[in-house]
Amino acid sequence: MTPWLGLVYFYLLAALTVIGALVAVFNTNPIRCAMGLLLLILSMAGLFLALHAEFLAAIQLIVYAGAIVVLFLFVIMLLGPSATPPRDHRGRVIRATGSALFAILSAGGMVLAWRASHFPMMHNVDHDFGGVGAIGRALFTDEVAPFELSSALLMVAVVGAVAVARGKQGVHKLSASSKSEPT
Amino acid sequence: MLLAFALSPFLILGIGALLLMLAEAFAAPSSRNRAGDNEESARGQALGATMVFLAAGAFAAGVWLYGIDDLEGASSLAPWLMIDRFTVFFEMLLCLGGALASLLAGGYLPEHNLNRGEFYALLLFSTLGAMILAAAGDLLTVFLGLETMSIGAYAMTAFRRTSSRSAEGGLKYFLLGSFAAAVMLYGFALLYGVTAHTDLAGIGASLAAGSAKSPFAILALALVLVGLVFKVSAVPFHMWTPDAYEGAPTPATTFMAIAVKSAAFAMMLRILLTSFGTGAWISWASGWPPVLAWISVLTMTVANLIAGRQDSVKRMLAYSSIAHAGYLLLGVVACSRSPQATASILFYLLAYTASTAGAFGALILCGRRGAEAVSYEDLSGIGRRHPGAALPFALFLLSLAGIPPTAGFFGKWFIFRSVIDGGFYVLAVIALLNSVVGAYYYLRVLVFMYMREPAAGAPVATPMRSGYVAAALLISAILVIALGITPGTTLDMAQAAGLTG
Repeated sequence: MTPWLGLVYFYLLAALTVIGALVAVFNTNPIRCAMGLLLLILSMAGLFLALHAEFLAAIQLIVYAGAIVVLFLFVIMLLGPSATPPRDHRGRVIRATGSALFAILSAGGMVLAWRASHFPMMHNVDHDFGGVGAIGRALFTDEVAPFELSSALLMVAVVGAVAVARGKQGVHKLSASSKSEPT
Repeated sequence: MLLAFALSPFLILGIGALLLMLAEAFAAPSSRNRAGDNEESARGQALGATMVFLAAGAFAAGVWLYGIDDLEGASSLAPWLMIDRFTVFFEMLLCLGGALASLLAGGYLPEHNLNRGEFYALLLFSTLGAMILAAAGDLLTVFLGLETMSIGAYAMTAFRRTSSRSAEGGLKYFLLGSFAAAVMLYGFALLYGVTAHTDLAGIGASLAAGSAKSPFAILALALVLVGLVFKVSAVPFHMWTPDAYEGAPTPATTFMAIAVKSAAFAMMLRILLTSFGTGAWISWASGWPPVLAWISVLTMTVANLIAGRQDSVKRMLAYSSIAHAGYLLLGVVACSRSPQATASILFYLLAYTASTAGAFGALILCGRRGAEAVSYEDLSGIGRRHPGAALPFALFLLSLAGIPPTAGFFGKWFIFRSVIDGGFYVLAVIALLNSVVGAYYYLRVLVFMYMREPAAGAPVATPMRSGYVAAALLISAILVIALGITPGTTLDMAQAAGLTG
């Protein structure tokens, strides 16, 4: 790839990312917002590809585009279009302050990044860094302890989801049986 | 084999939780017809969970007695899980906390019609996460342990689905907790970017080597501090605590107040002293100690002032746990001058675990189905009518207030002494004044219990009966009195467990 082509690729995807983000934030139709998010995620995956992070790009597609956006769509469709009032005036001041603070912080961060000449990690990584093979090797040799520990995390998430979701049903069953107890 | 021995507390908790879940799944179909049987099977769960906790704690004590230095292979997991005396001390402490919480759950859940076996699985996994967090020596395992612990706690908070308070508390805790974890993760990412290390020791070495402080490292420290301070529920980030503590079933509140807080302090000590423990980072002029000192003063003062104005005893105890986090933060500040101060924090955490579990347990004991004791009025006159519930309550409140000869007194004593040894005289005076203010609302409960009679026509609290809760109160009472009379041996243990370097 000539550097010229790489630049075009980068700016095209970067523009698409920004467009997706703007659609997700400013559109009033929740489905279109979710589609904007999808566009953002797909273009991000493209950007990851340009950095030779194929694994990250694939995960981005599977987890974010495949699972999270679909989950959003499910929830939006479950709630229906009537769930959100077209214009929500509550908390306007808080939202405005929040965005202003965020804008100031981002500007500060950009200035910081611009001026910080001693940021040490800006060198290029090897081409096979972050590839599927490298990640697999790390996951099952050096980092096998945290990999195993993450199974506890997944387990507790599953049990927690079941405990919270089953709560109402379980109590109904119990209260029904306790009503029938005196007879 | 020795590696398995070193890891035995983790393995026992994990395998025990899985076995308990299987036991519940296979016990359920036979007892589906009758409500009574269902309760019996979950009663067995409480006993089983307590046994698992005690077994894990016993194995941790075995590792301690065997000697970490003689244990070959214990360091083979070094960057991920640090098996040192600090970790083993926290393993024992967390197993004690988990055992007390599951004993309380064994009495509370059947009484309040919540008896579902998932609670014990969540409790065990959450404690496992807390132990991972206390042992973690790498940002990756810190985050894994933190999330394992927190997700269990979120689910336990929202466990009483029919109560909107419980759902509200759970949702608040979940959203704010996830947000704090995300902020902390940004900090971790920046730390990795600056130092190219994820292990805490490597980060420490890299930060010590760099002569000038990178602005990104300062930003990372600030973000990590936000996450740490949220998890110990200190003042600018304490908003979720009263709601979550009040809405949660009381055994879950107990667990959050003792185990989650202890593990969060373990994480805070390890990160601050290992990664930010050198040179300018730890100095009063340009490091984190003044920030923590301010947070600690704010935490103590605000929490004590608000706690005095509460009508609900459960909410008061929630604010009291925030105030205790403030005292503990002072200990962390003292650690910046002499690492020996860690011992006082460990001792305080043990005393606080026993007293808080006992206080919540006594509160559970004072209520029964449909009439949980919540407000001060609910407790009025209970000292004369039911001394069996009021007397332990009084003991634990005196210990929380720091009256000798209880564990709480020596906890405060050691913390204040290490603060004074560090030369922070003003902080010590502020903390002393605060503990006087704190005594007011603890003693107010005693006044209601022993000197008031319930108003005519008001519902009178009748205590429940439960062997589990009685056992938990007995264990806590023995600990509170034993630590209050002979603190020496425990303090020696805590000193041996101190972080070196």
